[in-house]
Amino acid sequence: MPESIPAPLIIDTLKDTFREARQALAAEAQEPSRHQHLGWVLSVPDTHQKSVLAALDKEQALRVVTCATEDEATTAAAGLWMGGEPCVLMIQHAGLYASINTLRGVALDGRVPVFYMIGLLSREKDKAPRESRHSMVRYCEPLLDTFGVPHARLEGPNDVHLIPEYYRLAQKRRGPAAVLVGLETL
Amino acid sequence: MAMKPEDVLRAIAAARGEAICIPTMTTAPAWREIAPDDVSVTCVGFMGGASAMGLGLALARPDRRVVVFDGDGSLLMQLGSLATIAGAQPRNLTHLVFKNGVYHTSGSQEIPGGLQVDFVAMAKGAGYRQAYAVRELDDFRKRLPAMLTDPGPLLVELHTGLADKTPMTARGGLPFDRQVETLRTKLVKPR
Repeated sequence: MPESIPAPLIIDTLKDTFREARQALAAEAQEPSRHQHLGWVLSVPDTHQKSVLAALDKEQALRVVTCATEDEATTAAAGLWMGGEPCVLMIQHAGLYASINTLRGVALDGRVPVFYMIGLLSREKDKAPRESRHSMVRYCEPLLDTFGVPHARLEGPNDVHLIPEYYRLAQKRRGPAAVLVGLETL
Repeated sequence: MAMKPEDVLRAIAAARGEAICIPTMTTAPAWREIAPDDVSVTCVGFMGGASAMGLGLALARPDRRVVVFDGDGSLLMQLGSLATIAGAQPRNLTHLVFKNGVYHTSGSQEIPGGLQVDFVAMAKGAGYRQAYAVRELDDFRKRLPAMLTDPGPLLVELHTGLADKTPMTARGGLPFDRQVETLRTKLVKPR
């Protein structure tokens, strides 16, 4: 059975992910980063990940930019990446559907490693998402498959290792990658 | 008489220094010719994305000016970006809106609201630090240095006519992924 993941665990994992990303960038680039914080969270507020977003309000090491739409978040992520900055998008499945042209045009066509954390709001605990009675849950993984976006599901605290793995995968493939947050975070 | 977009772009090219420029739609073909070696990335194929891409670049590189060449129809597609940009308050972002009242690329159909749409009021309402309109080329030239140095986010509504070319009549330029790669290489400067 899937379990909820505590917000501090996700935040600590993101920090570690960004630390590693900054080290990789420092090895790659001639100039040091102009920023003191570890990385950026581009968020279109997601009920499913609200405990993480609330905890991020108190974080100094991660800078949050709240976006009006997922299109903006995706395109801003491309700008950050071109400027050498690590970031994650925290959105929900409905936002993925809303921004699919931007995922195609920016992350896929532009070969930009946009890393998504997507909340599966309304996912039933006892069902695989593809069997959900909610279309917004059911279509998420098939849609990512259609667009060739690698994805994995965070089904509990033991799965947070997938966050750095899929972040790295996005960088390696030079394209989007996603982890899906199975149950609402604690 | 409305300004010619190409004249505006030529003035920017002469004054831009190290600014990162983000043309979209009808400014793209002319900018390719006017500033072929520029640090820029063109937004075509995800209409409305230029402003948020400018935001990302401006946040990543606070040491560089970022200048977005938006269109009125394009900005309407992601109008919420005004609030997103205002919320992030990038001091180094200049948002130029080339206002001609039509979707020039797709055949000059009028945008919703046509020329009545007031982007200056919208930007101010969203929380931009400055927003104003410019109607004459001489005035634009006069104010351009301040547009490139005043604290942002700053929006300027430019009253322009139609460009000579559009992305449909003048295809070409580097594919988007190569533009992205080129700009990143210039900014990150790999060893």
